[in-house]
This record gives sequence, C-alpha cells and structure tokens, in this order.
Amino acid sequence: MKNDSVPPTLTFLWRLITYSPWRYLAAAGGWALFHLWPLLPGVLGKLLFDVLEGRAAPGITVWTLVAIVVAAGLARCAAIIGATVAWAGWYLRARGLVQRNLLARVFRLPGAQAMPTNVGESISTVRDDSDAIALMGGWGFDMMSGLIFAGGGMIILLSVDVKITLIVMVPLAIVLGLAQFARARAYRIREQSRDATAKVTGTIGEIVVAVRAIKAANKEKEVVERLRADNRVRKTAMIRDKVQSLAIDSVFNSTASLGAGLTLLVAAGQMRGGDFTIGDFVLFSTYLMQVADYTAFMGFLVRTYQQSGVSFVRAAALLQGAPPMTLVDHHPLHLRHDPPPPAPYPDVEPLRELEVRSLTHVFPGSGGIRDVSMTLRRGTVTVVTGEVGSGKTTLLRSVLGLYAAQDGEVRWNGSRVDPGDFMIPPRVAYTPQNPALLSGSIRENILLGLPEDGLERAVQMAVLGPDVERLDDGLDTEIGVRGVRLSGGQVQRTAAARMFARKPSLLVMDDLSSALDVTTEQELWRRIFATDATCLAVSHRPAVLERADQVLLLKQGRVIAAGPLAELLETSADMRMHYRLPRE
Amino acid sequence: MTGGVTHGALLRTYLGPQRASVVVMAVLLLCSIALEIAEPRIAAFFIESVQLGRAESTLVGISLVFLAVAAFRQLAKVIAAYASERVSWTATNAAREDLAAHVLSLDLGFHESRSPGELIERIDGDVNQVAEFFSSLIVHLIGNAVLVLGILGALTFVDWRIGLTFAAITLLGYFFLAQVAGVATVKWEADREQSAKFFGYVSESMRATEDLKSSNATEYALSRFHKHLRSWLPVKVRAEGWGSAIWVVLSLVFTAGSAFAFGYGGFFYQNGTVSLSGVFLIIAYATMLNTPMEVLRHQVQALQQASAAIRRMAELFGHKPTILDGTRTLQKGALSVRFDHVTFSYQDKKILDELTFEVPAGTSFGLVGRTGAGKSTIAHLMFRMYDPVQGRVLLGEVDTRDATLSSLRSQVGFVTQDVQVFDATLRENLTFFDRSVDDSLLLSVLDTLELRPWLDGLPDGLSSRISPSSLSAGQAQLLALARVFLKDPGLVILDEPSSKLDLVTEAMVERALDRMLAGRTSIIIAHRLDTILRTDHTLVLSQGAVVEHGVTADLLADPDSHLSELYRVGRVLQ
Repeated sequence: MKNDSVPPTLTFLWRLITYSPWRYLAAAGGWALFHLWPLLPGVLGKLLFDVLEGRAAPGITVWTLVAIVVAAGLARCAAIIGATVAWAGWYLRARGLVQRNLLARVFRLPGAQAMPTNVGESISTVRDDSDAIALMGGWGFDMMSGLIFAGGGMIILLSVDVKITLIVMVPLAIVLGLAQFARARAYRIREQSRDATAKVTGTIGEIVVAVRAIKAANKEKEVVERLRADNRVRKTAMIRDKVQSLAIDSVFNSTASLGAGLTLLVAAGQMRGGDFTIGDFVLFSTYLMQVADYTAFMGFLVRTYQQSGVSFVRAAALLQGAPPMTLVDHHPLHLRHDPPPPAPYPDVEPLRELEVRSLTHVFPGSGGIRDVSMTLRRGTVTVVTGEVGSGKTTLLRSVLGLYAAQDGEVRWNGSRVDPGDFMIPPRVAYTPQNPALLSGSIRENILLGLPEDGLERAVQMAVLGPDVERLDDGLDTEIGVRGVRLSGGQVQRTAAARMFARKPSLLVMDDLSSALDVTTEQELWRRIFATDATCLAVSHRPAVLERADQVLLLKQGRVIAAGPLAELLETSADMRMHYRLPRE
Repeated sequence: MTGGVTHGALLRTYLGPQRASVVVMAVLLLCSIALEIAEPRIAAFFIESVQLGRAESTLVGISLVFLAVAAFRQLAKVIAAYASERVSWTATNAAREDLAAHVLSLDLGFHESRSPGELIERIDGDVNQVAEFFSSLIVHLIGNAVLVLGILGALTFVDWRIGLTFAAITLLGYFFLAQVAGVATVKWEADREQSAKFFGYVSESMRATEDLKSSNATEYALSRFHKHLRSWLPVKVRAEGWGSAIWVVLSLVFTAGSAFAFGYGGFFYQNGTVSLSGVFLIIAYATMLNTPMEVLRHQVQALQQASAAIRRMAELFGHKPTILDGTRTLQKGALSVRFDHVTFSYQDKKILDELTFEVPAGTSFGLVGRTGAGKSTIAHLMFRMYDPVQGRVLLGEVDTRDATLSSLRSQVGFVTQDVQVFDATLRENLTFFDRSVDDSLLLSVLDTLELRPWLDGLPDGLSSRISPSSLSAGQAQLLALARVFLKDPGLVILDEPSSKLDLVTEAMVERALDRMLAGRTSIIIAHRLDTILRTDHTLVLSQGAVVEHGVTADLLADPDSHLSELYRVGRVLQ
C-alpha cells in the first residue's frame, strides 16, 4: 500500500543528512573505513601463500605482512570510536528533528482533533517511526560503503580470474532479482506487523491510564485477556515478518556460500594445472565468505529501505495534510543553550463584537453542530445550554478553532478570522471541561511560559489561593502526572487560573464549575462577573443562566432558542423543561 | 513472582513451558555449527588433493560434498531461527501480560508517581528488548560461543601451541569485553531512563493538545521538548561511546588473531612442521573466528540493553501491592458501612483523623464538604484502593482487609468523576472486556437507563466502536452508571453523579438512580445540595473530621446547622 503523496525515501534522507552534515560525514568516513577493511585480509592471505610458495615480489616477508595486519587493526579501532561518537550525535539530532517536526505539526492542528488515531498509536509513531527514519541515515553510508566494497572486491577478483568470477556472480544476480520480487510483499507484511505493534502499545496505554477504573470494576483479568488477544495477533504478524526476513536472508546467504563451492568445482581443473594458485583460492574463498555476508547485508539494507518507507507513510499520516517533507524541515533544536523564551503577546485590538455565522461541524456518525450563529458584544455574558450530546462542547471548540469548521465563519470586530490561530490568548482563553495538565508545578501549569506578573491575580481569580496555602510547597507543589495529586476541583481551578493569567478579553469556559463545591463555585462566578470580561460559557446552573445577557439553547446541534432567560422561559417549552426552579 | 527476578528465573518461568521447541532449536543449531567447522576441513582436503595430483573426478566429488554441506547448514539455520522466533514471542507475550497484570495489581500510590508513557515504556519497550534476549541472544550467543570452542578445538588439532595461543587471545578478549560491557550496561540504563522520561513528556503533551493550543502555549511545550532532548544528548553519546568500546576490544582480538595466524603459519611452514594445506586451515579458522566474534559483539551489545531492561522489569516486579487479598467473602445484598476511628495519611499529610460513622444497610448517606475535605479518600477506603493507617473500615461487619478483593470490588460500585472510555466496542466498554456477560443483560441495563434510542442510533448496535473523543461527557457519565448497574452491587458510591449533565439528562439519571439505589446502600458525595435531598443521613466533613452528622431532614430543618447554612448559600446558585 504505497502512498503516492509520499516522496521517495532518498529525498527525505538527503534533507535529514544535511541537517548536521559534518557529523554525518565524520560518521560516514569512519564507517566506510570500518566496512572496507574486510577487503584487506583476503589480499594479505593471498600474499602470504605467494610468499610461502616463492611467487611474491622480493622484499615482502611474512613479517612485513604481520606488521600490516597490526597497523590496519589499530586504524580500524580509531575509526570505530570516531564514527560511533559522531553517529550518536547525528542520530539523536536527526531523530529529534523528526520528532520536533511531528510535535510542531500536531500542535498546529486544531487542538481537539490533532491526532488521526488514538493517542497511544500516535505516540508509537513519534517513538518508533522517528527511530526507523533516523536509522535510515546509517543506511546511507552503509549502502555507499557496501557498494564500494563490492566494486573493489569485484575488480580484485576479476584481475585474478575473469571466468571464475563471472560464474560466481551469475547466482548473485539471480538472488538480487528474487529480492526485488519479494519487495511488494515485504511492504505489506511489515505494515501489518507495525499496526499490530501499535495496537498492543495502544492497549497497554489504555490499561495504564485506566488502572483505577479497571481495579474498581474488578476486571483486571478480562483486560489482560484483551491484551493477550492483541498480543496473539502481533505474534502472528511479527513471526510472518521475521520469517520472511529470514527467508530472504538465507536465500542471500546460501546462494553466496554455494558460490564458494562453485568456485572449487570450476577451479578444480585450473588448480591441477597450476594456473589458479592456492593464494588465489584463499583470496576467492575469503572474499566469498565476506561477499556472502555483504550480499546478505545489502539485502538487509534493501529491506530496511522498504520498511522505513512504512514508517514514513505512518509519520506522514500523523501530519494530516501537511506536505510530507515537513517531517525533515530544518529547525534549531537548541541543544547547547536554552531555547529562546516565547515571544511576549502582541498588542491586540480588544473585543468589541464577536460574530459567529452559520458555524457547522458534524461528526461522521452523529452529533456535532449545524448552522449555529450568535453575536457576543463586549462585556456581555453568553451561556450555552442544552442536553447531553446536543453539541455544546463542539460549539465552543469550533468557535475556538479547536475543531476545524466545516462551514460558516467567525468575525472579530467585524473582520473574518481563522479561529485556530486567532482565537487564542491574549484575545481569548479557554478552560476545557476536562483540563489536561502537564507534570510539573502548579506555577508552571498556570504560566506555561508566561512571565510571573499575572500569576497572583490569576490564582486569586480562580479561588485557588486557600488550596495553595494548604500545600507544603505552595505554587511550587509538583502536581504529578496529569495532575493526579490534585483533586478534580483543584485541577479545574488550576486550568481556570491558567486562563485568567492570559488576561484575555474573552473568557470561554466549558462547564467550569462542574467539579466544585457550592461556596467555591459561587465565589468563582462572583469574581468573573465582577470583571468587565466578555464571557462565553457552557453551564446548566440556574444562577448563571439568570445572570446571562443571552442564553443559547442547543438541541441536536442546532440553536432552538436564543435570548435572555426570562424571554426564553416564556417562548420556549424546551427551555421550561430544561430550567428547574430552585426547590423550596 | 518474587522480588529478585534474575535472568535464570526469567528463563525458567518463560522458557520452561516450551522445552520441546527449545530442544529442537538446540539440536538444529549444533548440527549447523558442526557443519560450519567441517567446511574448511573439506577445502583443505581439496588443496591437499590438488597438491598430491589426484584425479579431477575426485576434486569434483570433494567440491560437491562441500556444496551439499553448505546447503544443509543453511537450512538448519533457518529452521532454528524460526523456532527461536516462535519461542521468543510466546515467552515475551507472556511476560508482557504478566507485567500488565502485575502493574494492575499495584497500589494507586505507585501509579500516581508514574506517567502512562513511562509505564508503556516499561511494559512494552523493555519487554521488546527482552524479546531480543530470548530469541537472537540465546540462539546466537550460545550458538556462537559453541562455534568459537569448536574452532579453537580444530586449531589445537593442527598444532597445540596455536590452539593455546588463540585460546589465550579469546579468553583475554572476553575478560576485557566483560569489563567494558559492565560499564556500558550502566550507561545504557541511563540512556533508557532518559528515553522513558523523554517519551513520558511527549506522550503527556500530545494528550494535552487542546489545552496547549487554546492557551497559546505550544511554543512553550516545544521548548520543554527541546530541554528534554538536550538532557538526553550527552547521555546517549556516552552510552553509544561505551557500546563502541566493545567493538574496539573485539577488533583488537581479531587483529591479534590474524597477526598470530600469519606469523605461526609462515614460521611453521618454513620450519617444515605444517604443510600448505595446514597453513590454509590456520588462516581459514582464524578468519572464521571473526564472524562469530562479530555476531557476539552485536549480541553482547543487545545483551547489555536486555540486562538493563530485565533489571527494570525485576524492579517493577519487585514493587509489591500493600493491599493484600483477604479470605472472607462479602454477603450479597445491601451492605452496612462502618468507619471505626479511621485515620489516613498520604505522603505525611493527615487526610482523615479518627473518623467514625455508620451507614445502616439499605440506607442512603450523603457526604458534604469542601474540596480536599477527604470525601474521595473515604470512597477509596471502602474500595480498598488504600488501607487506613489506623482504625477499621467494615462492610457488612467484615473488615475490608479481611474480605477478598474480588468480592469487595464486585459488591461495591463506584461512579467516579472522570469516566474511562476505551477505544473499543460499546459492549467491551460496558463489560470491561468480560465476554461472559450476556447481550440481553446489557440491553436491559441500557433500557433501564433510557439509552435505547441512543443505542438504536449507533451503526452496529453493541458492536459499534466508541472512543473517548466520540462520547460527550454526559454520555460517558451514563456509560459509567451502566457499568455499575451491570455489577449489581450491594453498595454504591456516587462521586458527584450528575456533575456534567444538563437538566434533561440529569432527570434521566435521577430516574435511573431511583431504580438503582432501591434495595442497596448508597453513599453520595455531593457538591449540589439538591442531591443531598435524596439521602437519609448526611455527614458534613471538614479537613478529615466530622463537623456534623445527622438525619438529613432534621439538619435541613435546623436553621443553625452547617448543612442548612450551606443549603442557603447554595440556593443562590441552584
């Protein structure tokens, strides 16, 4: 399944190599020396027998040859060390670059639909496929050295005996043809085993995320059973993948070693006649041992090349529409110094009016919003309400560009904007329904790179102060992975503080107060209403609905009523059903 | 499995059941090694025959034997490699499943200090490295070690001094190899550690795209990526550098071997001790020593990574759950709950302080208090996600520590604030992949929850695939209720049951709850006081201690009670 939109692997590779060319050259030089070195023992072996049989040039003794062996061995050691260090530096840069570009692309996409498959699978792409892609760099010089080795070896062999050399080369040519034939198949099976691997990683990912729920459900065995099923599929796919590799390898290997036997067979007559010396045979048999290894090595390189194609396709899929070459775009990786601090927010025109026209975003199955329009004037409060699955969150995400709008437009102070890059701080800030925090301190999570000056006010606005005071390290308390050391309410208010710290002129909140207790919640709304910020919020709370300048009632993705609450209660039966008067 | 998981124990556990395959593998392997050692002998015999001027037909016969040996050796190798691949995947799949099961058995405290990315790396990444250990390592490492011994034997057969010299070179080489490998393993471990941290961060930031994007913080997230990469670089270079030191040692061994082979060959031939075919054998075997050494180099390198991975696996297996299984089975039906002077601390902070209360079987009980007052901890204690530091938690008058975990967790249903939705079918999501649950039961539960219209709208009914992103928060909440319904527990704990629902759905849930709570004990952690109205008793909690406890209606009727105070405040919002 070759993706035509993906350019050839070589083009990628060239861009990747030129990212850190000197390091690459150093590694390539060292490895070339390393790979070419095996040409030497054959030649030296032939010379030894020539010396012993008295055929060698005068002046060359056994001890000359021993000295050459030692000198060459030491040179090889130096090459190994130099090449490894240069390669490690290049490899991590190349892999880092691919990962950086993948992440940067994921971050540029609409935030709530940034990944094409589940997160576990996307992580597997960033981890494993970036590795396969960077390893292709090594493939470049391995291939080059391999070709030079084969060429040099051939010239030496041809100079000894043309007929025998050619008879040995014919089976090798056939083998290469066979390898080409196996190519299409290799591609498909590799893809299956990669997918099966990603599935296992995805399942393990779900298990470790859901530990508490699984324990609570007492279904540990069943969940592991599911992993077992995925494991079985992967095992079958992997064994097929490996067996295929083994089969190709062994075809390469055995054809070459059968070539060695062939040499004996063909050379038998000439050796009796003395045209083909023992030294010549040593050269042939030594080279054939290595040519066997090298043919297999080249076969391996061909397969690696094909297999890395799969990784490119998967990585390109994660790019979701960006040109595949974006993967290897050159960007600084800041490996010597800290990256420059993010640019301060530009001065922006404060909100006077936000207009949403005919916004539509529907999902393949069901759900989403259709043709939603609304206008928010400065300083007003707009509350979106409606039953489960009516599209409230989708509406907020579409307005913010976290979903790509399929139709309709968003206008800021009268001009049409691209929400994804425009409806962000310092104009707009957002607290999602289930905020995701990063490992680190509360402070880091609120600021996310902003200067400290707005921190105190943000903490105060979010009613986070008393909680922070009770923590041992205050704002520097480590919150643990995904904020597990905080309660649900604390996570939500940390996210709210993060929103306030951005000093936006429009606040967008998705069921902000859902995990809060009554007093905290009341205080939070009081503080929000005390500012002159424009608000767009999803809420079902009567008090919030009462305070709203306009209420939008959603049903099956459409606005079925809009206006002040009092008006809606008169005109809309749905609203009356929805709104529950305080119990007496 | 006990704390110390050694290589040996790992082999016994995972290779033991596959003894037959392992034996077949070993026999084939030994065959191919014997043939490999025979090959130069045949070639030397050929040379000897040439020098003795034997007939061409004899020479042709010898080359044909050579060809046959070469072909058979290849075949044996492929079959052995295939067998080892099977053995390896069977063994490591089992290891992966055991690790996953073990990780699931560990306490919440363990999970709270580790990122999912890190655990994925442990269960999948590390086990993949161990797969190398099982397949290629065992075949190639042992196979090539045997081959080296065979070659040394063959060399000794030519002349004992040559055999001795090469044995000395090999031994010296492996001594240095072991030294270097020891250091390199440590460096590789540091490298893997960095890798796990790095991908922990990558995974976390990829899960937070919505937040990062809407906070205009993607630049910041990338700069943290850069910092992680930067701290990985020197560790990686050091690990690779030490890895290459192994190659250097092997290269030196080979250089010394060739030099001695040339020297001995030349010297003994000129001495008249060996013939030309003898020199050929010495050179051929010395060259052959190169190949297994090269493979050994690869394998020793992989072994370092695998040992590092095995060490981390052992470390993971070494974590023991402190929540140990009891022996008593909880009775079916509504359970009474009693907290008897329960104290609980987490990371040296006292969360609950000598808490005592009682909930009679079949009644409904409300828990009210500020965030962080200890409500979630109470729920977790009933579930035995934690054990109390002091005091007892009794369900149906059985100490939770004495009850079997399976009876406890099937008798207690817990609806949490955040619902875990799997990327799987609706059926699997409802049953947690338990295939023994009948579809008709699922359908009746969905009916009870009034979810039938939703189900009918799905393309494949119960087999429709759902994912976290395709469900709204409210649908997820209803899914959580359905899961608890399926369990039919005697005690239900509801943590903010309707927190994310709109009023229509909430009404739906309320009706469902009325049915669900009938005949069961329920404990409701409520932030909304409306929810409290359905409870018989209420406990107001503050900083881990009881502030107020009584009959809900009485507390609400008393204008001076904390509850009615909270209710008045709440009315402003509700």
